[in-house]
Amino acid sequence: MSELFQEAILVSILAGTVRIMTPILFAAIGELVTQRAGIWNMGVEGTMLMGAFTAYIVATATGSIWLAVLASMVVGGLVGLLTAFMTATMRVDHFITGLGINLLVAGLTLYWFRIYIKGRAQPTFDGFENVPIPVLSSIPWLGEILFSQRLLTYVAFAAVPAIWFLLYRTRWGLELRCLGENPKALDIKGLSVTGRQYIAVLIGSVMTGLGGGFLMLGFSDRYLADITAGRGWLAIVAIIAGNWLPRGVLAAVLVFALLESIATHVQVLGLNVPHQIFLAMPYLASILLLMGLRRKSSQPLRLGIPYFR
Amino acid sequence: MTSINEPAENLFPEPVPKWRIERRVNPKRSWTFAMYALATLFGLFLSALLLLTSGADVFKAYSALLKGAFGSEKALYATMAKATPLILTGLATVVAFRAQVWSIGQEGQVYAGAMGAYLGCLVFIGLPAWLYVCLIILSGMIGGALLGTTAAILKDRFDVNEIISTVMMNYLIVFLLSYLIGGGPWTEVSTTVVYQQTGPIPAASELPYLLGSTKLHLGFILALTAALVCYVLLEKTPLGYEIRAMGFNPIALAYRGTNIGRTIIIVMAVSGAIAGLAGVSEIFGTAHRLRADTLYGLGYTGIIIGMIGGLRPLGTVVAGIVFGGLASGGLYMKLLAQVPDALVPAMQGILLLAFLCAGVAARYKLVRTEKDV
Amino acid sequence: MSTLLKAVNLTKRFPGVIANEDVNFELKPGEVHCLFGENGAGKSTLSSCLFGFYQPEGGHIEFNGKPVAFRSPRDAIHIGIGMVHQHFVLVSEFTVLENIVVGTHEAGWKLQMQEARARVEELCREYEIDLDIDANVRDLAVGQQQWVEMLKALYLDARVLILDEPTAVLTPEESRKLFRIIDHMCELGLSILLISHKMVEVMRSDRVTVLRKGKVVGTVKPSDVTPDELTRMMVGRDVDLRVARDRSDDRDRTEPPVLIVENLVYRDGRGKLALDDVSLAIRKGEILGLAGVSGNGQKELFESLSGVLIPDSGSIILGGEQIKGLPSRHYMDRGVGLVPDDRFREGLIPEFNIRENMILGWQRHDDYTKGPFLDHKQIGTIADGLIDEFQITTPSGLTPVNHLSGGNAQKVILAREFVHSRKLLLANQPTRGLDLGVIEYVYKQIIVKRDEGYAVLLASEELEDLLNLSDRIAVISSGRITGVVDPQSTTIEEIGLLMAGGQQGVAA
Repeated sequence: MSELFQEAILVSILAGTVRIMTPILFAAIGELVTQRAGIWNMGVEGTMLMGAFTAYIVATATGSIWLAVLASMVVGGLVGLLTAFMTATMRVDHFITGLGINLLVAGLTLYWFRIYIKGRAQPTFDGFENVPIPVLSSIPWLGEILFSQRLLTYVAFAAVPAIWFLLYRTRWGLELRCLGENPKALDIKGLSVTGRQYIAVLIGSVMTGLGGGFLMLGFSDRYLADITAGRGWLAIVAIIAGNWLPRGVLAAVLVFALLESIATHVQVLGLNVPHQIFLAMPYLASILLLMGLRRKSSQPLRLGIPYFR
Repeated sequence: MTSINEPAENLFPEPVPKWRIERRVNPKRSWTFAMYALATLFGLFLSALLLLTSGADVFKAYSALLKGAFGSEKALYATMAKATPLILTGLATVVAFRAQVWSIGQEGQVYAGAMGAYLGCLVFIGLPAWLYVCLIILSGMIGGALLGTTAAILKDRFDVNEIISTVMMNYLIVFLLSYLIGGGPWTEVSTTVVYQQTGPIPAASELPYLLGSTKLHLGFILALTAALVCYVLLEKTPLGYEIRAMGFNPIALAYRGTNIGRTIIIVMAVSGAIAGLAGVSEIFGTAHRLRADTLYGLGYTGIIIGMIGGLRPLGTVVAGIVFGGLASGGLYMKLLAQVPDALVPAMQGILLLAFLCAGVAARYKLVRTEKDV
Repeated sequence: MSTLLKAVNLTKRFPGVIANEDVNFELKPGEVHCLFGENGAGKSTLSSCLFGFYQPEGGHIEFNGKPVAFRSPRDAIHIGIGMVHQHFVLVSEFTVLENIVVGTHEAGWKLQMQEARARVEELCREYEIDLDIDANVRDLAVGQQQWVEMLKALYLDARVLILDEPTAVLTPEESRKLFRIIDHMCELGLSILLISHKMVEVMRSDRVTVLRKGKVVGTVKPSDVTPDELTRMMVGRDVDLRVARDRSDDRDRTEPPVLIVENLVYRDGRGKLALDDVSLAIRKGEILGLAGVSGNGQKELFESLSGVLIPDSGSIILGGEQIKGLPSRHYMDRGVGLVPDDRFREGLIPEFNIRENMILGWQRHDDYTKGPFLDHKQIGTIADGLIDEFQITTPSGLTPVNHLSGGNAQKVILAREFVHSRKLLLANQPTRGLDLGVIEYVYKQIIVKRDEGYAVLLASEELEDLLNLSDRIAVISSGRITGVVDPQSTTIEEIGLLMAGGQQGVAA
């Protein structure tokens, strides 16, 4: 193998990593807000799937991918509304709620998908193009890896410091973190716990829906059942492995994406091992990560515990 | 007294709301039942709306669904056959969730059970028929139990959240199966195309049919037996006491001498074994060869069934038969009313959320507050 | 002006109970008004209504002579009512400053920590509160957390301050400091509503309103009544908590102690030294009292002595046998009974019925099983016998314990632990939150066990009770035993000094 070829593959793997990070990063950094507010949303996978499915329907029906992006966020928000209703208003166990949402969405998307393509060939759409950033994209290596990406990829990376600022530098972020640690401290000051939990769930769900939308529009031209394939779960793992800190979440997402990117390059690398091994990597890695990283010092104390007065 | 904080205008008395929601001290049985009935109706109503989105005739679709599920003796047996693995995965959910171990590994454990049993069917070939079948069933249960125990050990030793570890293992086990039957050692030989399946299992290893030409096989009896065993285990034994106590308050249980980690491992082994049995029953009772698509979704549906069955063995059997009916009626509905049978999982999801809400509503009541002052 | 805050015919119900019925109450400017009553008399409910946390169903509240209806604490805070809750409502991961600022809703979306800091520092100076406002609350001692709660209320410009059992977690010295602060507040024109069940605090208030079973018994000036009269108002009958101690000095002092604890050290998950070289010994038929402010290592000590927690080093010798490191099961099998301080969390399965709770921990014991199955019939017989013996008020043995009152729930634990233990009884705050009748009962039962020859370790926040009951009193502070005193010859002041961490000259 020539050196030039090796270089090209390395750059391709890394550029792929950055792209693959995008949907998981949207979900993980958004759900970080939700979890910081004490709501352990286990329905991330379903929310993401709903976002991806909606993006597909809107993209193929209208031909506008930006409309599709918007729709995936709106629908993500709707799923979030249901999650918030179940967890913050009805105070059903957060885990059970998430499972219910996942199962519901799996059923709904499959059903609507069958109806949508009934009696015709599956329609396709034109996904996102790369938007190279002038000047920066011409830097050797780095330009191709970091600055020749889809527009939403830049947005996802910008979201990390933005969410950090929101959580740690605003009055609202302080209140939100307080919800995850001790919601009663807000309640006794007469501030609505439920209302704030709704907002936190919505932020997470809208961003997760957006992640699903990008997954659909940024990687493929057609929908397939269970297209999210556990990425929502990886987002949750990334939050835990990242010790509930924005930079940690970013690092954990990077690991998953790198593994997946390597898996997609296996054929090019010409390794003679069952491809399932590489496909299994991110899932295996998530278990190993959780086994190894046992620092949970920043886990919100009241995470996943419904608040009763 | 001078004051910088004068009371704001809006603080003066305003009409007190006439109705208030209050927690019940003792939920009445009839009220609880009414709430669940309401949830069922609400679920059916939302599903009807879903049907409308497909442009189908709601009445026609529902009657086809009902007829296909319970309309004839034959339909009934088909329903019971469909219900068999669902009851088992439902029971697996009951055992785990009663202990508040939130395992959603039933899906993967079904696969593991099927693979364990298939391995058994290769290894024990040639033994007397009854022993052969027994050993196959046993190896299937061990397969499921091993996967379940892995998640329990991860939780106990490494504090890995069981939901996440079981989800990840659900994916991993599917990749393993995909390798084994799609190019690996178990792939069906003698065909030119790779179908992602094994060859047919030996006739001696099939679970016997119960009634002549119906699809009902020994698995159904196994499922009912498992339900009985679960009931006795949970309600009548010290281990069941510990499982239920752990679900309500693991701290007090640990304070009084029960080893929580050990209990979690036992719970997950039992739960995994029962889910593994579902895999055995499906492969050796119905499909007669190991392939992934016949097993897909059994575990996830089992979670819904266990929950709707109120996490009780008897309720789970009833819910399992109803959902088995939905599954077999769904095929009929697809033929008769041209509605995708994917409606069934969507309906299941809706029903689950409605039941969850009903469970909360049953604990509250609406009270009229009396006149103020 | 005569009245600042007034409750008129206030009624509040909870499912199944009337917490407040036709309560009338007045708070005058600049006074310290004490709400006095037993646990469950409705003190906290009344204060929560006055603070807007609960909305009353009948009657109304007046402020400065005008009727007000609080929809939430926000309205109450807005007109200048502040509350310090009995169980602190602090965010342990936040700094002191963040705890004070969160939810105060000053202008702007950005955190303005500098301005807040200046105000908090000024408040600290004004009230002579010594506190590192950048420290995380979890690193503060329990007593210091009380000052954080006070600052939270003062920061919001409270003119009326409701203090719910503020001295429960303070050492005697800290309590004195609290009352100095309270006096200073009154000088500045603040009004204090003090909720208490401690006679000393009641007697130094300006006025006392006594609540019993949700109703006001009367409002009096402490100078006009005797403590005994007040107690009678509170309980409705005469009570004598002084249980006969019967100190039989002829007991065999040469016999080795039942329990010998040496040099126990335990660091908690956060690296804090929770037990610091703890050594104790308890003899047969002896009650060793454990005095100290909650959160100073009592919980870890009790957990260590019952095998729930394994200390990092040191030894636990029970009946001559080294058992440190064994799981809790072995402690139970060797006759150690445990009455934990958080009864519904650590001692009971709330959803289980009384019968099931009676066998908690002993569910595999031969008495309760028949072959591989639970012997429900036998369990029922034994449990129902205990219900009678311990006078547990309940419709039946099949009632879930979360339907029981705190007192009856505690009796379930006592019954279970007394029946199954043989040598050593560990009781951590066994009377917390109970009313006097039950407290009396619990103490009598403990005395009975002592007379049967049990060794007893009894921790309590009520120093008076410890002095009455104990044969010796060990004092714990920051995980260390700061001294062991003889209740006959010691004083509250001496114990208070040890609770605050002062070392005793004599070795324990």
